[in-house]
Amino acid sequence: MEVKVLTKHYDKPEYRSLEGYKKYGGYEVLKKALGMKPEEIVAQVKEAGLRGRGGAGFPTGVKWGFLPNNGEPRYLVCNADEGEPGTFKDRMMMEKAPHQLIEGMLISAYAIQSKKSYIYIRGEYMEPYRIVEKAIQEAYDAGFLGKNILGSGFDHDMDVYRGAGAYICGEETALLSSLEGKKGQPKLKPPFPAVEGYLRKPTIVNNVETLAAVVTIVKDGPKEYRKYGTEKSPGTKIFSVSGNVLKPGNYEVPLGYPLKDLIYNLCGGLKPGRQLKAVIPGGSSAPVLTAEEAERATLDYECLAEMKSMLGSGAVIVIDDSNCMVDLLKVIMHFYHHESCGQCTPCREGTGWLDKIVGSIYKGEGRLQDIQLVEQVSKHMMGRTICALSDAAAMPAISFVQKFRSEFEFYVREGRSKVKEVIANA
Amino acid sequence: MLKCKINGVEVEVKEGTTIIEAFKIAGQKIAHYCWHPGLSVAGVCRLCMVEIKGQPRLQIACNTPVQDGMEITNQSEQVKETVRWGLDFHLINHPLDCPICDQAGECGLQDQYMEFGLYTPEMAEPKVKKHKVVDLGSKIVLDTERCILCSRCVRFTAEVTKTYELGIFNRGDRSEIGTFENKPLENNYALNTVDICPVGALTSKDFRFRQRVWYLQERESICTGCSTGCNIKIYFNEEGLFRIRPVYNEKVNGYWMCDEGRNIYKFVNKENRLLKAKKGRKGEWLEMEGGAAAKDVAHHFKSLDKERIALVVTGQFSNEEYEALFQFYKKNVGNDFVYHWINNKESFEDFDGLLLRGDRNPNTKGLLQKLEDYRYEQTWAHLEENLKAGKIETLIVAGPENPLWFPDLKEKVQQWGIQLSHLIWLSSAKVQAVDEVECLTWQIPLKTFFEKDGTYVNYQGLEQKSHRIATIVPGALSLSEAAHLMAGEEYKVDMAPILKGPKKNYYVHRRGYL
Ligand SMILES: Cc1cc2nc3c(=O)[nH]c(=O)nc-3n(C[C@H](O)[C@H](O)[C@H](O)COP(=O)(O)O)c2cc1C
Ligand code: SF4
Ligand code: SF4
Ligand code: SF4
Ligand code: FES
Repeated sequence: MEVKVLTKHYDKPEYRSLEGYKKYGGYEVLKKALGMKPEEIVAQVKEAGLRGRGGAGFPTGVKWGFLPNNGEPRYLVCNADEGEPGTFKDRMMMEKAPHQLIEGMLISAYAIQSKKSYIYIRGEYMEPYRIVEKAIQEAYDAGFLGKNILGSGFDHDMDVYRGAGAYICGEETALLSSLEGKKGQPKLKPPFPAVEGYLRKPTIVNNVETLAAVVTIVKDGPKEYRKYGTEKSPGTKIFSVSGNVLKPGNYEVPLGYPLKDLIYNLCGGLKPGRQLKAVIPGGSSAPVLTAEEAERATLDYECLAEMKSMLGSGAVIVIDDSNCMVDLLKVIMHFYHHESCGQCTPCREGTGWLDKIVGSIYKGEGRLQDIQLVEQVSKHMMGRTICALSDAAAMPAISFVQKFRSEFEFYVREGRSKVKEVIANA
Repeated sequence: MLKCKINGVEVEVKEGTTIIEAFKIAGQKIAHYCWHPGLSVAGVCRLCMVEIKGQPRLQIACNTPVQDGMEITNQSEQVKETVRWGLDFHLINHPLDCPICDQAGECGLQDQYMEFGLYTPEMAEPKVKKHKVVDLGSKIVLDTERCILCSRCVRFTAEVTKTYELGIFNRGDRSEIGTFENKPLENNYALNTVDICPVGALTSKDFRFRQRVWYLQERESICTGCSTGCNIKIYFNEEGLFRIRPVYNEKVNGYWMCDEGRNIYKFVNKENRLLKAKKGRKGEWLEMEGGAAAKDVAHHFKSLDKERIALVVTGQFSNEEYEALFQFYKKNVGNDFVYHWINNKESFEDFDGLLLRGDRNPNTKGLLQKLEDYRYEQTWAHLEENLKAGKIETLIVAGPENPLWFPDLKEKVQQWGIQLSHLIWLSSAKVQAVDEVECLTWQIPLKTFFEKDGTYVNYQGLEQKSHRIATIVPGALSLSEAAHLMAGEEYKVDMAPILKGPKKNYYVHRRGYL
């Protein structure tokens, strides 16, 4: 069963407008929050155990707690770049409920005492951009944004900034570089954004879904929030399911939900006659699970970590037995090769190298040692770079060749796919 | 102070020191490309990996500050393996160009591979193709395939010159160094990027393909290009001098020098030198050795009217030479007609904000001090008046070593040729105008800074010693030697070794680190 906490009113078209949003209790939580002490809100978010929905799953309240008390202006930035292949939940949230995001941002901004926030939105998201822009205008007109919000004395301004389509600009420090008008590439850490971020001022970057969830936490309290989910992964989460299922789409379920239920119940299962072969549980950066692992997996941070994969952004890509793993890895490697910003040598050279090796195998020109080489190269790309894109490229590569080695070996020996009769002449 | 252990060696470092700096202090080797002590930390090459006791993840040494009690190593198998792979990542798309690359012999890739690499490459795929021989203007050529994207050059133009010409264009392994809209890289410090480029990506048009570096010797000296007195290293062999690079001096020039200063070597080489002493006048020159000419002056001196002699000095010489010259003048002439030739009055006080000063003399400060000591207080206008009035018959000129900075040189010499009956011209430079004067002239070839010892006082008042390295023009005299000989003293001229014979490979010793 889906549990609709965040998406409760998403089926109502009027929810998109300020009028409609208010009809279902919109901005009431903001009123409540403005009557609370900022520290109280931070404490509630900590207590609720909310973990970042952008990919890393870092506890949000803890991150907010890293802000230094040095009197410097603070910024809040909403990461709406949604670049992780397979992920399309933020888009839906912004399209269906822009005011939910704005309210969540306002509460969060108040909690961290920030007077200015930005929504950094993926360049290709033209429609969500228009919707969010319009909603911000409505909020300004209604006095939810601007000076002395609801007579509380709290001022806040919000702006939308469109990216230009680079995946790397979803990484928070690259996002901040881009927001500053520079080339979108990650910054060396430390210092972390909470200490020195946008314009070298303390900055909190949070995902769309994370910020929206803050509304629920403050509304019902942390206890109620923890009613769903597991001890270490409290709350609900929206999963974007794509690939070989009958009903792909966004589904909100409590964390800890069995992956097989998501696939077979909510998503209607596979096409008739097809077998499950693999599942990528958290966006293309997450190590792939075999069918057997997928049957056992639950959708929470700890189970997937134990299986040496990750929940990531919650993009579940379902792969049935009609797919060739070499083909899929080739596509994934091409993506990371194209998207590496190129600063760090292991990532710049490694992503290109992996793309070429897998490409050679795909073209039927691979050598048996290339399979091992993929593993070796990947291994030395991990944990060595400024941001996690290098790891994000290496992890799928390692998992694909390790878990589907026989398919890769067949391809190298025979020069063709074990699965597909005809392969494209790449 | 913080205590830490680097590969087992205990060192004490100041608060805020990074691990890579601690490695340098401890004298331990560490692989690195992007870090440069004169630039901000980029942390992109990922080669300076170290293992810190108690931390499971390897850290980069260049962006990690030392904490008290830290035990750090780069000798563990894990680090060594990481560095080997880090180097391989640098090399997979690097062209195998060494035989035709000007950097070979002093290349960061070659050196670090020998030190930390030594593996069999795994790369079996075609390399990325990029632009070669990119013309960056009058001074520099770029080969983007050889570039390892360490971003040192970009940071240099952003942080030191603040001219921002260079940038990294495109992404991933298609990244390339370039300039916006192909504008040239022409600032007066641009050649520093060639020095700091660890590979043969940025090469100097002036130096490239003229010598293999292992055929060059190197010695430290002081730049005579202006009153800053940057510390430099001169690269030379039997064929002459080939290039100059800066040497770190915290008090004077930091890590850098200007591009104009790099050209001073040209005025040491034979092509631009006065090679023989000459006596005579336009069309009737008699060549002789420098010492003989100076003695001839001494001989002639007796018959000259001492009240009609004057001395012109430039800021191009060392303290010791001024002292000898003024002693000579005091004893043998005795008047106070001593004049300071300021070569570029209008721009004398200029400063470009970095290093280069309008006073294009290495030792104006030293000269002014000596003039004061000897109470020589005459103005240049006084000389001009006396010349016009015909009161001066003989002029002794301690002229330029580097004629480039004397825009009024030709005009002055021509004028003197008409106004005087004798000119005693002391200079290391070949000056066409002197060959065309009509009065009786002695041209005495002097040594350059490369050929003599001397003390120079820079604009800050800092005394710097410059040492004799080798002899380029045999028979040339230092100004002191000329002064002693002109005074008629018995004097043995001291000479540095003359460079001759076949080129030899000086690369038997290890070159320094990046
Ligand atoms: C290569 C890369 C791409 C990323 N892309 C996104 C993205 O598109 N959206 C997002 O919310 N987080 C993305 N992240 C994660 C962010 O860096 C950051 O952790 C996140 O925005 C923090 O928000 P959260 O704590 O609310 O999850 C990406 C990270 C990496 C390394
Ligand atoms: S890991 Fe890759 S994407 Fe991230 S900063 Fe380094 S080069 Fe850029
Ligand atoms: S040109 Fe040289 S200094 Fe500049 S980034 Fe490339 S390798 Fe580094
Ligand atoms: S600044 Fe002056 S001393 Fe320094 S290199 Fe240039 S000319 Fe020489
Ligand atoms: S020297 Fe530290 S990362 Fe390059």
